Amino acid sequence: MNAPADPPISEAPILEARGLTRRFGGLVAVDDFSFAVREGTIHGLIGPNGAGKTTTFNVISGFYAPTAGQVLYRGRDISGRKTSALAAMGLVRTFQGSTLFQEFSVLDNARVGRHLGARSGFLSRLLGTDRASEADADARARQSLAFFGLEDLADEPVSNLPHGHQRMLGMAVALAAEPKVLLLDEPFTGMNPEETRRMMDLVRRIRDDGVTVMLVEHDMQAVMNLCDIITVMNFGALLVEGAPDEVRNDPAVIEAYLGSATGNGAGHAA
Amino acid sequence: MPEPADAASAGSPARRAAPRIVGQVAGRLRFVALFAVLAVLPYLLSYSQQEIAVLLVINVLLVSSYRLLTLTGEWSLGHVVIMGVGAYASALLAKRLGVPVPLSMLIGACMAAGTAAILSFPLFRMKGFYFLIGSFAAGEIIRLIWKRFTDPFGGPKGLKRIDAVPDIETGFLSIDFYEPVNYYFLALAVVSVSLFVLYRIERSRIGLTFHAIHWQDRLAESVGVDTFRYRTLAFVIASFFAGIAGGLYAHYVGAVNPTRFGVDQMVYVLVWAIVGGTATFHGPILGVVVLTVINEIVLRGLGLDTARPLIYGAILILSVLYLPDGLESLGPRLRAWLRRRRREPAAAAGGEGGEAA
Amino acid sequence: MDLLWQTAINAMYAASYMALIAVGLVMIFGVMGVINFAHGELYMVGAYCVVFLYAQEKFPFLLSVAAGLIFVGIVGLLMERTMFRPLRKNPLGGLIASIGFLLILQTLAVLGFGRRMGHVPPPTQGKIEIFGAILTYQRLFVIVAAILLLAALWAFLKRSKFGWALRACAQDAEAASLQGISMNQTARIAMFIGAALAGVAGALTAPLVSPSPYIGHSIIVTAFIIIIVGGIGSLEGAVIAAVLYAFVHTFVTTFFDGVIANIVGLALMFAVLVVRPTGLFGARERA
Repeated sequence: MNAPADPPISEAPILEARGLTRRFGGLVAVDDFSFAVREGTIHGLIGPNGAGKTTTFNVISGFYAPTAGQVLYRGRDISGRKTSALAAMGLVRTFQGSTLFQEFSVLDNARVGRHLGARSGFLSRLLGTDRASEADADARARQSLAFFGLEDLADEPVSNLPHGHQRMLGMAVALAAEPKVLLLDEPFTGMNPEETRRMMDLVRRIRDDGVTVMLVEHDMQAVMNLCDIITVMNFGALLVEGAPDEVRNDPAVIEAYLGSATGNGAGHAA
Repeated sequence: MPEPADAASAGSPARRAAPRIVGQVAGRLRFVALFAVLAVLPYLLSYSQQEIAVLLVINVLLVSSYRLLTLTGEWSLGHVVIMGVGAYASALLAKRLGVPVPLSMLIGACMAAGTAAILSFPLFRMKGFYFLIGSFAAGEIIRLIWKRFTDPFGGPKGLKRIDAVPDIETGFLSIDFYEPVNYYFLALAVVSVSLFVLYRIERSRIGLTFHAIHWQDRLAESVGVDTFRYRTLAFVIASFFAGIAGGLYAHYVGAVNPTRFGVDQMVYVLVWAIVGGTATFHGPILGVVVLTVINEIVLRGLGLDTARPLIYGAILILSVLYLPDGLESLGPRLRAWLRRRRREPAAAAGGEGGEAA
Repeated sequence: MDLLWQTAINAMYAASYMALIAVGLVMIFGVMGVINFAHGELYMVGAYCVVFLYAQEKFPFLLSVAAGLIFVGIVGLLMERTMFRPLRKNPLGGLIASIGFLLILQTLAVLGFGRRMGHVPPPTQGKIEIFGAILTYQRLFVIVAAILLLAALWAFLKRSKFGWALRACAQDAEAASLQGISMNQTARIAMFIGAALAGVAGALTAPLVSPSPYIGHSIIVTAFIIIIVGGIGSLEGAVIAAVLYAFVHTFVTTFFDGVIANIVGLALMFAVLVVRPTGLFGARERA
């Protein structure tokens, strides 16, 4: 289970994009965009609608290959690798909304999350000699559920869960995979203030356990209170990067948000 | 369309809470009863019905192996051709190279699995409808190759006089596998073991992963499931057992030809799976058994031979329209209906009095 | 050289009726998102309309063809109402149901006309020579009729409100219904036209092919190849692919043999599926 000893924490970024570009036909969704995420931080990626956040996220997590540029993980070029290969390296993402195995029980969702940890040969699966590794996977899946307060719902079908719980479960599935870097796709969208506050606490705890967190989010309030560093995108490119206070008062950011037609979260930013 | 068994069991915590031992004993008893029926069955049938029973047992394996592939959400139209690969390979190995028959079946099945492994590279670049058509094209190409190349495949007439399973001759026991009854028991044994393996695979983490890929392949991928590898795995396993079914068929009937593995036959497999329902392990088996009985006993008995495909077609349409979850859903539906019936008159009788009764 | 030219003329004939069949299949898919596996059987029913009306009952040939067109169109309406409409949310279900329908049509043909190939005496005798290649009037008639029908369809789609509704439904059914397009109405028209085109192809070619109840199989395989190569959902692509496929198939058949031609055709489709699933001429992807 234990990976070879991690290198000592350095200033070198754990996740980095260099000159990242992604085109769809004639449309340039991400345009020569660079950023660096340092290990042990909570790093926010924000921007007005259509700024290219989601595309960036999908490129980092391996759903799209970049048209140009690189994604580096611990200094290694990982651009264009399969999502499953990235997960095996410790880069795990979540999804917007309630993207879950809706037909499974809550526990089985988390068990699938343990896919990488529960290795066993084909024959031992057949003969049932994978029981030890499966019991371990079960225990860890339950731990992951417990972290999000879902342990009592383990046997419920997901479809019975209220929306907020489904969001938590999405995180639990990702956490069960024991990521080094957790990529959160709009984790607070559709949550009430109480749920948002709880989720923020949990994200902080995840960071304190040594997991680097990068998140894309619309909810400015949450981003400002939670993130150590924030990268702001506009028109597919870097606008500003810095600590929340710097970003909050940056005229370019305010203008970008006020200028955007829909400007989700602009109210919070003010 | 299909629904994982796990979800079904998760939905009824009450049943899970019931004493486990009682359930286990009841389950075992049911199996003992089933095997007792299967053991007596051939002796109650006429000779021609015995032959049908052999083919039915083989078809049970064919459709069950097909279901394993559908667990990942992909529907193939090439499964019967893959069965044919097992049949042709085993027949040729025995005829041309003198490989002893049971061994040739095993090698044939491995070749069917190998064919699937090679095909998975182009095929799993496709999904859904494209996979369906792609598997159809791949299957037709293989079938046309059998048809075109007389050496070694025998061309349109196929292969004839395929070696039979050798007789067993020991001092006190002699089994002649030309006899349908004896072949029935041989096939039953092979198919039972195969079904057991398929069942174990589905109930293991591998089965969970297959289901996961079906319902949310991106989420599965994000936690490290290599969906391509698992789709390939499902395809290879399903093809191995289809190949076993093909070997059992070839050495029983003694002849194979390209038409036998055509798209018409594939349609029958689809019909069995869909009419039975693919949500549970037993659904497709139920489908093939019920439809074979209707087909061979009822329709043949009524002298409706020519009209049989029409009735099959009508059953297929009606079941897609009115029984989308297949025959397997009839039991639970019936139970729910009975419960409602029982409750309604009680409720009509009035309030708490009804409930106490 | 003569053989090449003759083969090209033969290919043009094949392209004409294949285009009719494939365009119909694409139209049905475009609106309903369902692959009609019974499309080859619609062709077969069209051919048997001519066997019955023209060869057996001695009605005029053109009248029999027109009757085939309308009758198969009505069969299409029946399919839409009884299967594809209730199964609109379930494209795989629609496909499976159409397989059931295929078996029904096939069996009805066997019950009505027997298993053996039907014979239709050619309504026209004679042939023309084009630079040394021979083209019978019957084949020429099929080519001209197909071109006229496709041109009429093209004009109809360009001019009428239906053409616009068809494109809207093909792109996004929900958005189309928000714009006040009746999904049922559009589906009915598409299904009638799509089926009628297959039927008229069968009716036109009946004197040339000796129809049998099982002829639909090779027709549907051909149609699949064409719509995949042309890019599923693209009517223009279907016509171009029909020409392309007809030439490839006819030439390979002439210089090798029919089975090899079928293998080449399937391999072409397979290659397109692997390399460019949206087809050689189509842009949209629908899954």
